[in-house]
Amino acid sequence: MILEILSIGIIISACLALFLDEVVYSVAAFSGTFLFTALLYWENGSTYAAIFQFAVSVGTLAILFLSGEMLSDKALKKTSPEKLGALLGVGVVLSLPALFLSVSSSGGSYGVSTSSFGNALWNLNGLDVVLQALVILTVALGIAIILYERRKGAS
Amino acid sequence: MDFVILSIVILAIGVYGLLTNRQLIKVFISIELIAIGATLNFVMLTSALGQGVGQAYLVLAFSTETAVSAVILALLVIVSKRYGTTDISKIIKSMGEKAENEAETQ
Repeated sequence: MILEILSIGIIISACLALFLDEVVYSVAAFSGTFLFTALLYWENGSTYAAIFQFAVSVGTLAILFLSGEMLSDKALKKTSPEKLGALLGVGVVLSLPALFLSVSSSGGSYGVSTSSFGNALWNLNGLDVVLQALVILTVALGIAIILYERRKGAS
Repeated sequence: MDFVILSIVILAIGVYGLLTNRQLIKVFISIELIAIGATLNFVMLTSALGQGVGQAYLVLAFSTETAVSAVILALLVIVSKRYGTTDISKIIKSMGEKAENEAETQ
């Protein structure tokens, strides 16, 4: 029952995040999507995934709130209660397929041995290298964008 | 309760938002929703199989997602600084006007 409520919450908050008129309210609704997703992971037994999801979502939401407040156009109309009700209805309707339909698998095991999260991280050393490469790539991209803008501003 | 269908629905909402929204921040939220749909499918399938490997790869997926978000936000700030708005239709309009002005000066 909890999983169903969480999945309905994810879809409703996703609809609200995309179709509310005010950007700050959209970001607030989007925080609900992140929170419900983390809780869904937690309830499903993926504790580490829930913690990572929560940690990543906090950073993303902080940046989204700041950019939403600073960059959005100020003169926006407020969402009417009718539209809000329609969005909630659409969210409930969209969550029905996930509740009542199912994609059945052919059954049987997938032939892969189970392992814990700690063992997996310990054995997959290549992940560390890839993660560090990603961080360096992002920093390099950021520096390239800043230098490009400065050169363009100077010329 | 089927998490594959749930993730497909989230993915579809994200794609619909990506195609219909005009605000750049909403476009960014749509991209995040698509990423949530993908990771949800990944985590739920691997947890159903009882594997920690899926969660370990999830760390990789999250770091990729964060890197993509950082780059998109940097581009968003640059575009809004240059054109003074985050509305895609206004940005395209001012880009067209700029191109026309350049063509006239040449």
